[in-house]
Amino acid sequence: MPAAIFTIARSGLTASRVSLELTAQNIANAGNADYSRRTLTQGELVMIGSIGINQADGLGGVRPGSIERAESGLVQRQARDAGSALAAAEAEFLAMREAESAIEASGVFTGLVDFEAALTRLEGNPLEPALRLSALESARQMASNFRVANGTLTNTRALVQGEASAEVPSVNELAAQLAEINRDLVGAREGTSGRAALLDARDKALRGLAEQFTISPTINANGTVDVALAGTPSLALVTGAVASSVSVSFAADGTVSFAVGGTAFAPGGGAMAGRGAALDQMAALQIQLDTLAASAISIANTAQGNGVGSDGIPGQPLFSGTGAGDINVVLGSAGGLATAPAGSPAGSRDTGNLTALLGALGADTGPAAGADALLLGLSSRVAALQTRADGLGVVAASAEAELLRDTGVDIDTEAANLVRLQQAFEANSRVIQVATELFDTILGLG
Amino acid sequence: MSIISNSTGSFFTRSLSQMADLRDGIERARTQIATGNRIERGSDDPAAAAQLRSVARRERLAAVEGDNAARLGQDLGSAADEVEAVEALLQRARELAVQAATATTGADGRRAIAFELEQLNEELFSRANGAALTGEPLFAGLSSSTAFTRDALGNVTYVGTPASGAVSVAPGTVIERGLPGNEVFEFNLGGIPSSAFAVLGGLAAALNGGSPDPAGAARAALDGIDTALDTANRAQTILGTRMAWVEQVQQQQADRGIALAERRSRVGDTDIAEAITRLQQSLTALEASQAAFARVSDLTLFRALR
Repeated sequence: MPAAIFTIARSGLTASRVSLELTAQNIANAGNADYSRRTLTQGELVMIGSIGINQADGLGGVRPGSIERAESGLVQRQARDAGSALAAAEAEFLAMREAESAIEASGVFTGLVDFEAALTRLEGNPLEPALRLSALESARQMASNFRVANGTLTNTRALVQGEASAEVPSVNELAAQLAEINRDLVGAREGTSGRAALLDARDKALRGLAEQFTISPTINANGTVDVALAGTPSLALVTGAVASSVSVSFAADGTVSFAVGGTAFAPGGGAMAGRGAALDQMAALQIQLDTLAASAISIANTAQGNGVGSDGIPGQPLFSGTGAGDINVVLGSAGGLATAPAGSPAGSRDTGNLTALLGALGADTGPAAGADALLLGLSSRVAALQTRADGLGVVAASAEAELLRDTGVDIDTEAANLVRLQQAFEANSRVIQVATELFDTILGLG
Repeated sequence: MSIISNSTGSFFTRSLSQMADLRDGIERARTQIATGNRIERGSDDPAAAAQLRSVARRERLAAVEGDNAARLGQDLGSAADEVEAVEALLQRARELAVQAATATTGADGRRAIAFELEQLNEELFSRANGAALTGEPLFAGLSSSTAFTRDALGNVTYVGTPASGAVSVAPGTVIERGLPGNEVFEFNLGGIPSSAFAVLGGLAAALNGGSPDPAGAARAALDGIDTALDTANRAQTILGTRMAWVEQVQQQQADRGIALAERRSRVGDTDIAEAITRLQQSLTALEASQAAFARVSDLTLFRALR
């Protein structure tokens, strides 16, 4: 039956044309990280008819099947989780590195040492006005360094908070997108390009979400996904076509808290958890910095109270304030620095009180040692975070590579497919040509 | 059919991140060479950064302590100079007293001696109120006003404090700034408090006709002058010992300064040779990987299919 040759060749042409289209689509999306490569499944078409015991079959060519999307739930999940852990570590690391720069560069430690040095110099000649003035000015410098550190720490905190606030709407947007995708997926027909595109969008949204919060998604048989945010407690974010919304709030000490649909929860991972951890540590840093400033204030003012100035008048407080934010020099004149112990006459070169002040400042429990300990703790923490972020970066990169290997487009494979499909297309055309010639021959017989 | 595919996107991402890593290393090595500091921020090496901080504090304080020691040395030197002059002066007074004690010296001669003694006493008073290079009194103890005052009758009194303050010149080392005037010029003479001023003044007055037996008075004054000399000698010894101590401390400070600098350099300075080698190595690797990337990314089937 020569007519069958036409249908067979036509079906072959259709199948290779659709495959070619998919190959072109794959090549076009080679640079799209969210794209999973597509393939066309094909099935042989055989028609079987039977009348009584006589059975006959006719070949029908090839049937273009469904569009398959390279998919690997496990690898997707690995990439998502690794990305989530990396985002948490990086967010915390970057925030804490900012804090480290803020406190290190503001020169709290240098200010304290300079103050100590100026006082030691004053010990050499306690009545020289120039040395007294330089001691007073270095006290002013130290106070200002504390305020700068406080300001930059506040700034850093505001930046991290701003980042958290800015990312919350995008999380809500992704959740809404997922709900929308779920609704569309229910109606999408199996094996169509539309469905594959929806699944791509679904995986992309999941990855975006996982970067901010660790998620535990449940992928249903029809491709829809229910998303819960992992944490204490775990709360549902997207169920079917319904999405809850995430909100963020900040406490007075700068720490952050999250809520889903009004229920508070602590995220188990993701950049938001990293930011939360960083903000907690910054609150602790703030307390340490304030304690340091308060100890410098109290040591200097106590010493002032125990002595007399160059004019023999009992010393007035050197600093005002209660913490790093409001420490300031209030002593009006350099002559008021109480270098001599109480009871000394005016113009005394006794440095007993100054020596006591120096001893308290330089003691193992003094502010200089405190600042050193604070910096050491902070930089050790940052170094540890960097190591962790580096390690997780390697893990995330290998998971990403694994994912791309499973779902990404390989240009060489596509090029080979292009050649193969082109040949198939040409071969099918040739079959039609042969069929035509066959017909012509048969028609020519008459 | 299962295909092990090598995603094109993955190849580009990987190459890019590897080259970025190399560039990062090169940038770091370059910064280390340019600044000479191995540690850019505390988290690069927390323990070393903490050491550097403590070294920096120690160096800062050592510089100030060095200045203090130098100043203290100067003050002690000035005081020693004054005391040396006082000794010469007392020696001269002793010669004069011996001269006055001999019976052959006449009344005119004694008056001349009395006049010279008065001048010497004047000089002694001005030396006792001598000031350091920066204007502080040398022998007033903790007081910043003059050490000795003289009333209308010519009686000299010590008005400084009985102790002189100490200066810290090294961790845990404090050296007294000088000697209070009462330890240099005042002493007990036969159980009665006296001073070099009183001895010289008394002798001058006796020789000036204040005593019926000037030669006897001069002989009696010899004891006082000798005690004054002894006191000044003792002061000179103390000042000399302290100066030697200061010098020793300064030597130690210099040694410690070198040790601190060495330590800072060991902990915080870039090892230039190592950094340059590392830089060269990274540069070579980056160039090679860029060339390899260009070659490999050129190898697509599409190029072969023309």
